[in-house]
This record gives sequence, structure tokens and C-alpha cells, in this order.
Amino acid sequence: MSVLLAQAAQPPTISWLGIAPEVTLGVGAAVVLLVEVQWKPSRRALAVLAGVLVALAAGLAVALQIFLDRGEGIDTLLPFGGMIALDGFGIYARYVLLTATALALLAGWKMVEGLGPRAAEMLALMLLATAGFSLMAISTNLVMTFLGLEVGSISLYILAGFTRERTDSDEAAIKYFLLGGFASAVFVYGVALVFAGTGHFNLLGIRQYLTGVVVFEPGVLLIGLALIIVGLAFKVTAAPFHSWAPDVYQGAPAGVTGFMAAVAKVGGFAALVRILVSAFPAMTDEWAMVVAGIAAFSMVVGSVVGIVQDDLRRLLAYSGVAHAGFILTGVVAGMAGVRDVWFYLAVYSVQLIGAFAVVTAISGPSGTRSAISAYGGLATREPFLAATFSILLLGMGGLPLTAGFVAKFGVFTDAWSAGFQWLVIVGVLASVVAFFLYLRMIVVMYMDDPASGEVASPLSTRWVLGLAVAVTIVFGVFPGPLLDLAANALPL
Amino acid sequence: MLSWLVAMPVIGAVIVLLVPRRRGEVLLPLGTALAAIPLGLAGYIFASFEPVAGYQLVERAVWYEPWGIAWYLGIDGISLPMVLLTTLLVPISLAASTAISERRKEFVVFTLVLEAGMIGVFLALDLFLFFVFFEAVLVPMYFIIGIWGSEHRKYAAMKFFLYTAFGSALLLAGIISLAVLHSAQVGVPSFALDELMSLELAPSTATWLFVAFAVAFAIKVPVFPFHTWLPDAHVEAPTAGSVLLAGVMLKLGTYGLMRFNLSLFPQASVDWVPVMAVLAVIGIVYGAVVAIVQPNLKKLVAYSSVSHLGFILLGTFALTSGGLQGAVIQNVNHGLTTGALFLLVGMLYERRHTKMIAEFGGIQKVMPIFAGFFLFTAFASIGLPGLNGFVGEFLVLMGSYATLPVHTMIAASGVVLAAVYMLWAYERVFTGVPDKEENRLLSDLTPREIGILAPLAVLIILLGVYPSVLLDKIEPSTEALLDRIEAVTDYRVPVPGRVDDVFVAGDAP
Repeated sequence: MSVLLAQAAQPPTISWLGIAPEVTLGVGAAVVLLVEVQWKPSRRALAVLAGVLVALAAGLAVALQIFLDRGEGIDTLLPFGGMIALDGFGIYARYVLLTATALALLAGWKMVEGLGPRAAEMLALMLLATAGFSLMAISTNLVMTFLGLEVGSISLYILAGFTRERTDSDEAAIKYFLLGGFASAVFVYGVALVFAGTGHFNLLGIRQYLTGVVVFEPGVLLIGLALIIVGLAFKVTAAPFHSWAPDVYQGAPAGVTGFMAAVAKVGGFAALVRILVSAFPAMTDEWAMVVAGIAAFSMVVGSVVGIVQDDLRRLLAYSGVAHAGFILTGVVAGMAGVRDVWFYLAVYSVQLIGAFAVVTAISGPSGTRSAISAYGGLATREPFLAATFSILLLGMGGLPLTAGFVAKFGVFTDAWSAGFQWLVIVGVLASVVAFFLYLRMIVVMYMDDPASGEVASPLSTRWVLGLAVAVTIVFGVFPGPLLDLAANALPL
Repeated sequence: MLSWLVAMPVIGAVIVLLVPRRRGEVLLPLGTALAAIPLGLAGYIFASFEPVAGYQLVERAVWYEPWGIAWYLGIDGISLPMVLLTTLLVPISLAASTAISERRKEFVVFTLVLEAGMIGVFLALDLFLFFVFFEAVLVPMYFIIGIWGSEHRKYAAMKFFLYTAFGSALLLAGIISLAVLHSAQVGVPSFALDELMSLELAPSTATWLFVAFAVAFAIKVPVFPFHTWLPDAHVEAPTAGSVLLAGVMLKLGTYGLMRFNLSLFPQASVDWVPVMAVLAVIGIVYGAVVAIVQPNLKKLVAYSSVSHLGFILLGTFALTSGGLQGAVIQNVNHGLTTGALFLLVGMLYERRHTKMIAEFGGIQKVMPIFAGFFLFTAFASIGLPGLNGFVGEFLVLMGSYATLPVHTMIAASGVVLAAVYMLWAYERVFTGVPDKEENRLLSDLTPREIGILAPLAVLIILLGVYPSVLLDKIEPSTEALLDRIEAVTDYRVPVPGRVDDVFVAGDAP
């Protein structure tokens, strides 16, 4: 490690390949906007362009992994003066983020088509958000992490208010912006305090400092760490920092809500895990208790409050709170839990986008109609939609033979091994309550009388659902490949 | 072989899914025929089953190496009867489901998937795999109750699901902790039952794990005080659902207690005998007493299940040869008789659209064949000598007397109470004059319905007069279980408690 840091202390090494996916996305966002201005192409062509850019970014991530595995063409693992890390963690984070973005583009197809000239803005913002959260995941410097967080979050604030003609969309955007901005401020204050306590912004520097010295009065450091955890807990909708999520999910246009929820969670968790595991292994006892408390509270609040919701989007928001708790259960285990946290994030983000694709089909791409009663008897009106959504719901609930079960099983096992037995018991009980949420939706779709109202399920939505179901079932029955992939996703 | 047994119903479900909508009339016959294939396989396995201890036809394939999970199947004398029962009851309940008119395709698919899950539960030797099947059966059963049930089906389905899911949550925690312990002691995690059996468990750990497993299975059985989901689920479920729920799914609990609690935590099992025995006796007496006063025929049968399963629990925790064998064979007996009773109640309901005892009277005048079948099955349920119920209850009571005399004496009253509720119900429904106009117009059983009931009746008699056809194959496994308990604990089966001491049918010197 000291070798790594010594390298980082040299004049900055530039590794374009190391940030190529982010550059592609960032430049791509500008390209989309310029193409729109210059040539006024069809919205379909713009969406295809965005999809190609995402695919290109993913291809570059694969290339980066190949170079890393061979150990060729890489001068240092910490280029740009240690601002970012080239490691399995970052590669995997990009895979998850880019998969989620690609699926979200497909799910948002209808919305793009309906937006008119503003389609380019939406696509550009989606690419920028992905670039931001991706930077957040690969950064080993707290300032860089903050930059990534802001790039991603600000893009999402705008997306939340994208249908300006609707007041609740405005409300969602303002609420998201105010609370998100507050969370960012909390995070950055935490970064400042950690810097005050250790003299480092670099995660590896902090780790080296903390393993090398005994901090007699760690007060400032502990407060800084706590603020960092709180700031990121806002982003991943962990309780008690979740209160914005139901309103934002409800008000934001359905076409992008799944995307917002998924990439913000992936980015937030990536940063949280990297910071805790990379920088603060010496203080595991301190932060693990805090994280475990947040995890337990999130699981309980998310599943219990979710029961009384009568709007599917709010329900999904609370289920997201519960899922944040489940994922944090794996975070508690530190390095040993990284693999299963990643498995969980990959599976959950895909399922989330699938679920919001169904919401889009019922409420229209920018509409609001997502009362649970609107899904009554969906099985007779749209059998494919109902069946695939049911499988996704069962997967989120963690039924065996779905990837959701493998994910939960993984994080619970890690927490149990790490000595957090009480947390696992809270977790398994909360997961039963959470299952009730999803089951209730299935009851509505299969056992209630059909509700009225148009259901638009275009081919793109069907594709999204088909893919999400495939992920849920294939990785539920054969979790090996994805787990092996995630097993290499360790931070430096 | 065993993998095929699990896979056949799934393949069948896929075939049924491919049937076009307009050919709805072929679904039930096709489903029944597809469900008969696993029955044939199970029959072949039964015929080739060697009456020795240990697992046979073992299959093991790594599922995910770092977690130590495996596709690990095997069959022994304790699971063999359960597999036979499952494969028998599924085609019968499908054949009996002509009353299902809506969404018939989904019904057949769910039933076949349920069958795969139930077979898997009985065959799994890997605890992770076991849990997968144990949970997976909940969903099809939830839908069977929730979609095709009667008036309060949604409430009943939800209650059923939540009760059992809370139980399995604790089970999952227990399974995880066993694997983590294995990882700590051996170096690699494992979920294989035989490997986990060699773990060194601290007494307090073993106690906690025993409780976690026992609560999960007790909810499934259901053992008093966890039984309240059962009457609701049974009353609301369609006939096929009730048959499979009572016939097989309740046995997941008794099977789990015997397979996992006794083998994994022998010392804790011995320590907890007093508690389990008292709960068993409460279940026997309470179930029977409540059954007496039920105005609803289906609910009466449901509460009789609580009572009968109490006997199985008592036999299991008597920890004697007779008790364990009686418990295993009583699992089968209860499946046959209660399955038949639910089929009969369903047939009556299809004609009369009520299950209230007070609505009937004098039915035997208009439906003599039906009345005959009902009385016959009621006798089997009461435990009339010569029919299967007698063998099981006799073995359980005799086996339990060696270790739990007081409990056994109280439990024996359950046999008398069974006669009270069954015969009193028979009297009210069948005897007298049919004074209600609707009852006079009822038609007797059709040949098809007789064909559905006949296999069960034949087996009820067969197991009543020649139980050693099954007992010979059960005995080595239950004896091995007792040997293991004696080997690792201070517990010794008292003298008239082992096979050598008691006469078991077909085992004469």
C-alpha cells in the first residue's frame, strides 16, 4: 500500500483508459445535445445514440478490466495523483451502473418519444448522472467522491422535475434538491472533519494514517465519519434519512424514476463501501455498530410503513428503504461483505427499473396514476405484465430460486459471520413483513376485480421486463457467475 | 433418478403451459396424467428400495462452491413414505378438481409446481436446498387458496403465508448459523445434513437452534398454539388445496422435526421432550374437543388434523422405536384418510354448496355409496382395527408409553374423542330422514368420483392389514436415528422401547 501511495505522490500519472467510460459518458452527453441542435434528428435516433454511448462506455470498462487482469499498459493503479483507483470495485460498479442505465433507456423509451425537443436534455442528463455516480464509485479521494456525487445528484434533481407542467413533479424536484443538497452539505462537512482529523483526503492515506498512529481523542474524526455515513445514507434512502424518497418517487415522471432510484443507490453504496472498507478498517468497531443500527432501522421502517401505502410508487420507495437496510446488513461485514453487497445491488437495481417500467405502463410515462387499486385485475388485462411484475416482486421479496433470495442470503450470512446475529434476526423477520408488501400487490393483480384505465405496454417495456425477469431467475438458480464476478469487485 | 422425480412435475407444468387456451377441456386429464408419471417413478423407487439404514439413490452436485451449497438429494425410510404419499395425492386431487372452472391452466400449473416443491423438501439433504423447496411450496399454495378458494380466501391465504413465512425466517437464521459454525470449525461452509451432524455445538447454541428449527416446523404442523392459520386455510381452500395442504404440507413440519431437529440437535431434542410432549398432548385433546363443536364439516376435519398431528408429534418425541415408526406411518395414514375426507366433503359441497352440518340430515338415504365411503373413512380416521389409522395410533401410543406414560394416557383419550366428533358428525349429516327438499334431490357418487376415492380406500385397508409393507422399509432408518441419539447423548431408550422388545407387524421372529 505504501508503494501505491508513493506512486500517487509522484507527479500525476495520466491514465485515459482509467476514466475512459466516464469521459465517454460526459462527452457523450454534450454530443447528444450538440447533435440535437445541429441536425434535429428524430428522437428515436437520439435515444439510439445514447444507447450506443452507454454500450461504448461498457465496452471500455471491459477493456479496462482486460488490461488490469493482464497487468499490461497500466502504469499505476492510482492515476491522477490518487484521485481514482483502477480496481475490480470500480470496474464492477461501472458494469452495474451501465447495465442499469441501458435498461433505463429502454424503459424510458416512451417518455423520450413523448418529450419532443427536450428529449435530448433528458438523455444527456441520464448520461451525466451515470458519469457522476460512476466517478463516485471509482474515486479514492473524498473531494473527488463529492464531485461525482454532485454531478450525479444535480442531474437527478433536474430529471425529477422534468415534466414541468405538473406541480407534483416540481414539488418532487424541489424537495429532492433541498434535501439532497442538505445531504451533500452534511457529507462535505464530514469530509472536512475527517481531513481535520487525519490530514488526508485520500482514502488510502487515511487508512495508512489510522493504522500508523493511535488517535487519543478521535472525537472530530468520529463525527466526520458519522456525517459521511449520514450524507450517503440520504442518497441510498436508508432510514431515518429516507423521508424525501416517497414524495420524490411519487412525483417524478415514471419514465425516469426507476433510473433515479437505481443509479443513486448504486453510486451511494459504492462510495459508502469504498470509504468504510478502504479508509476506515481500523475503526470497524465504531462504524459497524452505527451502520448496523441504520440497517436495522431501515429494514423495520421500510417494511412496516410500506404496508400502509396505497400508492405503488410510495410502496416501492419504502421497499427501497427496506432494501437499503438489507444491503447495509452486508456492509456491516466490511471487506467480507463486499461481494454480496455488489450482488445485491446488481440484482436490485435491475428489479427496480423493471418495477418502474410497470408503473410507467400503468400511469403513462409522465403521469401520476399509480394508486394500487389501478392495478386491480391486471392479470386478466395484461397477463404478461402481471406475470413478469409478480416474478420481480417475488424476487424483491426474496423468494428462493430468485436472485433476491441469493442476495439476501449472502448479506445475512456475512453479517452473521461478522458477529451481528441480532441484525440477521431483525433482517429475516423484516424480510417476511416486506414480503407481505409485494404479496399484496400480487393479490391486487391476480385476485381483485379489473380496474379501468388504459394500459400502454409497448415492446420496449416488455423487453425491460423480460430482461429483468431473466436476471431475477437465472441468477437465482445459477448465482455462481455473478457471484464470482462480484467476488473480484474488491476495493484497493 | 431422484432429480427426475423433482423435475418431472416441473416439466409437466411447462407442458401444461403450452396447451392453447381454447383446449381448456384437456387440461385436467393431461395434468392428472402428467402427475401420474412421478407416481410411477416413486412406485419404482419403492419397489427397488433396500430396507437398510442410510440414504439411497444419493445425488450430489455442487451448486456454488464458495458457499458450500449443493444439489444434494437422497431417500431413506423416513422420506420414502412421504414421497409416495405426495406423488399419490397430487394426481388424485387434480382428478378431483373438476369444480375448478376459472383459470384452470394456472391451477394445474400451480399444483404441479407445488408437487415438485413438496417432493424436493422430502428429498433434500442440503439444508440450503431444503429451505429453497420449503419456501417455494408456499407460493403455489398461496395462489391455490387465494385464487380458487371460497369467500374469505384472501384473508386465509395471507394468514397462511405470513404464519409459515415467519417460521421459515427463523429457520433461515438457524441454517445460516449452522453453516457459519461449520465454516468456523471445519474451514469451509457446508449445508449438507450429514456434515452438519458432526458439528460440535455448545449446549446453549444447540438449544437456540433447536428452538428456531422447532418453531418453524411447529407452525407448519401446526402445533398448538401456532395452529390458528390452519382452520382458516382449510375452510377457504378449494378441495385439491385442502387435500394437499392436510395430506402433504402439514407433514413438512413433522418430517422436518424428525429429520432435522432429532438428527442435528440430539441432546437438545432429548432435553426438550417434556415441552414437545405436552404440546403434542394439548394438540391432541384440544383439536379433538374443538372439532366436536364445529358446525362446519370442513372445519371439523381441519381440527381433527390438529388432533391427529398431535399423535405424530407425540410419537416423534417419545424417542422409541414404536413412537418413531408410528409417527412416520401415521404421516401417511393421516394423508390418506384426511385426504379422502376432504375429497368427500368437497364432493358434497359441489352438490349442495354448503358445508354446514345443520343443513344436512338423512343423506345416506339419497347417497348410499357416498355415505358408505364417508363412514369407512371416518372409521379409518378414528382408528378402527383393520384400517390404517389403528396401526399408526397403536404404534405411537405403545411406543410413547415406554417413555411418556402419563402423556400417553391422556393422549389415548384423543382416540375416544375422535370417535365422538366423527360419529356424531356422521349421525347429524347422514342418518335420519332427509327432511330438507334440497337434500332429497342429491345424486350419489359418479363412477369417476368412486374411481378417485377407490385408490385411497384400497390403501387404507392395505396399510391396516399389512402395514409391514411400509414398516419394513421405515424401520432401519428410524432405528438408525435412535442409535445416533443414543450414541451422542446420555439418553437410553428404556427397555420395552426398541424393536427387539416389541412386536411389530411382520417382524415376528
